[in-house]
Amino acid sequence: MRSLLNRFKQPSLFGKIFVIMVVSTIAVAVMTSWVTVRMSQQLFMDTFSITNSKVIRQIQTSFESFHYAIIMATYDISQSGTIKNFLVQGDSNSLGNARAFYGMKDQMKRIQASLDTYGVGTIVLGVNGRSYSNDRSYWNRSMTELKNSPLTQEMLREPGRLSYHYLGGGSTPLIVATKTLREPDSKQIYGTLYMMVRENSFRQFYNNFTSTGNDVLILNRDGMVVSSNRNELVGTKSTLLLDHAQAMNQDKLDYQSLKYSGKDVVMLSNYLSSYDFYIVNLIDKKMAMGRMLPTREIILIGACIVSVALLILLIITRRLTLSLRMLVRQMSSVAKKNFDNYLPVYGSYETRQLGQGFNYMLDELNDYISQLVETQKERRNAELAALQRQINPHFLYNTLASVNILVQRGSKEKATETIHALISLLQNTISNVSETITVEQELANMKDYVFINQVRYGDEIRVDYFVSQDCMEAQLPKLIIQPFIENAFFHAFNLKDKGYIYILIARENEALICEVVDTGDGMDLDQDAKRLPNSKSRRQLFTGIGIRNVDERIQLLYGEHYGVSITSKLGEGTKVRIKLPWLVNSTETDEI
Amino acid sequence: MKKAMILLLASFMLLTACSSKTNDGAASSGSTDTKQADTSSKEVTVWAWDPNFNIKAMNLAKEAYQKDHPDAKVNVVEYAQADIIQKLNTGLTSGTDSGLPNIVLIEDYRAQSFLQAYPDSFYDMSSSIKAADFADYKIGPTSLDGKQYGVPFDSGVTGLYVRTDYLKQAGYTPDDLKNVDWDKFIEVGKAVKAKTGKDWLTLDPSDLGLVRVMIQGAGSWYLKEDGTTPNLAGNAALKDALQTYKKLMESNTVKIISDWSQFTGALNSGDVGSVPTGNWITASIKAEASQSGKWAVVPTPKLKNTPNAVNASNLGGSSWYVLNVPGKEAAAEFLAKTMGSNVDLYQKMNKEIGVIGTLKAASGGEAYKQADEFFGGQKAIQDFATWTTQIPKVNYGMHTYAIEDILAVALQNYLKGADLDSVLAEAQAQAESQVK
Repeated sequence: MRSLLNRFKQPSLFGKIFVIMVVSTIAVAVMTSWVTVRMSQQLFMDTFSITNSKVIRQIQTSFESFHYAIIMATYDISQSGTIKNFLVQGDSNSLGNARAFYGMKDQMKRIQASLDTYGVGTIVLGVNGRSYSNDRSYWNRSMTELKNSPLTQEMLREPGRLSYHYLGGGSTPLIVATKTLREPDSKQIYGTLYMMVRENSFRQFYNNFTSTGNDVLILNRDGMVVSSNRNELVGTKSTLLLDHAQAMNQDKLDYQSLKYSGKDVVMLSNYLSSYDFYIVNLIDKKMAMGRMLPTREIILIGACIVSVALLILLIITRRLTLSLRMLVRQMSSVAKKNFDNYLPVYGSYETRQLGQGFNYMLDELNDYISQLVETQKERRNAELAALQRQINPHFLYNTLASVNILVQRGSKEKATETIHALISLLQNTISNVSETITVEQELANMKDYVFINQVRYGDEIRVDYFVSQDCMEAQLPKLIIQPFIENAFFHAFNLKDKGYIYILIARENEALICEVVDTGDGMDLDQDAKRLPNSKSRRQLFTGIGIRNVDERIQLLYGEHYGVSITSKLGEGTKVRIKLPWLVNSTETDEI
Repeated sequence: MKKAMILLLASFMLLTACSSKTNDGAASSGSTDTKQADTSSKEVTVWAWDPNFNIKAMNLAKEAYQKDHPDAKVNVVEYAQADIIQKLNTGLTSGTDSGLPNIVLIEDYRAQSFLQAYPDSFYDMSSSIKAADFADYKIGPTSLDGKQYGVPFDSGVTGLYVRTDYLKQAGYTPDDLKNVDWDKFIEVGKAVKAKTGKDWLTLDPSDLGLVRVMIQGAGSWYLKEDGTTPNLAGNAALKDALQTYKKLMESNTVKIISDWSQFTGALNSGDVGSVPTGNWITASIKAEASQSGKWAVVPTPKLKNTPNAVNASNLGGSSWYVLNVPGKEAAAEFLAKTMGSNVDLYQKMNKEIGVIGTLKAASGGEAYKQADEFFGGQKAIQDFATWTTQIPKVNYGMHTYAIEDILAVALQNYLKGADLDSVLAEAQAQAESQVK
């Protein structure tokens, strides 16, 4: 879990590429489908509105032909003398009345025949109180009620005009065409004419064109819905729609989008001048679009394609970055100080180049390091050689002075011995520093040195050698032990003037152990951690070789396992232990 | 790389396929919601025209039926009678089932024209109901070739509704008008008009209902027994009826009306003293509650000069028919269980709506024997039931209204003073040429 988190926090190349690709793939898919959908919606709306405005024109035509039929009927009625007589004449006897009634009815029947297909109920009211209605189901209240209705009032306000009204309140709403009947010359009103159509027969003009989400409303001048395929809207007022319809009619707009009763609709409208009505066509965008756009399928297909694309992407990017990732893993496994971990070179061109570069760098690094080590070694040797060459002139002077004294005293033999010891000491020390010598040779050197010292300073300090026989052939660097003996001579016996120095050389497993033990003053190691003094004295053989140098030299030559360790106790003496690897030169060549 | 290309190509193909699919959807969206007309065949649709009368009755039948069959669906639809005629004619002629109801109410006068014109379009009810259970005169119009198609509904039995208060002012009692002839009826009318100033009756000059009442009372009709041959010239009963009609007009006691509302308006406002018409007017008369006790019903007058005329006749009346469309079995069962046999239903219809059924068994029920306070305690329903049995049976044939239109013109000519025989002969010729 945490590693996963880390991976997110430190996104890998693969992760970055993948995330970017996922985002862009989805973005492309979404954008493309959005644009396509928008375009098709726009196209759909355009074609839809074109067809629907055609439909509206068709509706308008059927409304017009109905209007024409009404006009014709109205004209016939107003021109008919029989009907006029029926409406103006006073009552006569039954027979006369019967004739008038029959004649009128006959006329009306003939006139109405043209309106039969529409289902029109006709009522005429005369000034004489007579009335006629061809179908009582249209107006089942009394005629006086009709006469006093607002409908009649409205009609009388505009005599001579054929106007259409909405009449609710009955079992079914009616659309009523009204007209006053007037004398042609005097303009005297002699009757009123009502042509009633049931709202649901009114619908026949447009009902074929409607469907769910595609509604037709007929608005009158007050914004009242006089007819609609949606029953619940009939008789309701909608100023919103009226305003839009009027605006559209003025601006000659094809269609308009608006919100109507919480829905996005496209509205088409046309003005029916003969009725003073507006035909309004409302298309529910959501329904129309919903039918056109199977949203769920689109999303499903889109998701399918995107996921397949992503899967392919995943595989390809993984493959592309695989060699790189392998490279990275191997690189990180190149441990510290382990520069030999070369990388296998394969994969894409870039990865191969990178691997090669890395390997080349490792090569260079290794070369450089080995060079560095070599230089270091050489520098140490040079240092040592330089030091060896600086034989303390005082040592020589003192030694030669001692020899002189010996010669003067006449102990000729001892003087010769001393000169020999000095000669062999110088011979051994001045030769190549890097050479290793056998324990045997080193022992001889030590003996020479001790002999010279004892000649000069007396033999108060005795030196004893304990060398196991098997070590005689072992190799060790030159001048390893000498500094410690020297040290013991000049520093260990400041308080005491007598004592012993023991030199022990033995093999311990695969190591050669040399110990220089004195019985001198000893020292407090805690007080003086740097017991390996770097002091310079005229009495010393070499001025430059410090005891500390020995330790560093051994470690440089043989590694950390080897070196010098010192233990000491005040008043009892000091023990120096030198650990060296067990080396035996098989081809025993004694080079100088 | 190649693989990737192929995949890319494939996904593009898929995408384009998808988009073309959406286009298809858009194209077909216009015509998706047309197939809804098929309502479940379990629903029985009924067409009738009078919300105060036959529709109310049908709703009672529906309630009664649903008590025993809770899952039955009956949908009663109201149309004007003219609309029903028109829709039936259109539907039956075109031969499509769609849009037609399961059950339709047809006026008896028109029944034969439908049965004969579209014999296969109606469902034979012979096995569902027994014709003998109904008033005899109803069987003629509702059956064809011995097959009973219609379930007889209301009786159009006529009576003479009279204002007892006006009669009293003129010095008469309702008894004076019982079992009289039309001449006597006119005579009383004149007296009433003279005394009260009120007209005696209303007439619509284009509606010859009164003539039909007169001639059926005499056992005659516009058509001969075969139901197709016009029977105008030489029809003694018709001639007598038209003469009586003219006498009535000339008596100047007739208030001329042109439509139904004027008709009911006149009798409710007290403008007329009598109403000779079918019993279905009872509800309209009773609508004016203030006139309770002022009305009486007496038998229909008969033609004076026609020997076998009786004091009973018929006007209007209708019957239920099952159309031969899917769901007919359910509709037939519904009709048979209700209008075809349910005596209780008829009692209820009578009580609540005033329907006088033609199911013989129903007339024995309680409701029929009740005294009616509106008619001064008269057992009016029982009287109507009695008269129903006396109605002479005639064959209305196919062309009742077609001939009536011709006859109405002839009558106008006759009223203007033309010779009756020649007028009738002319009408006969016209009718013969028209109703072939």
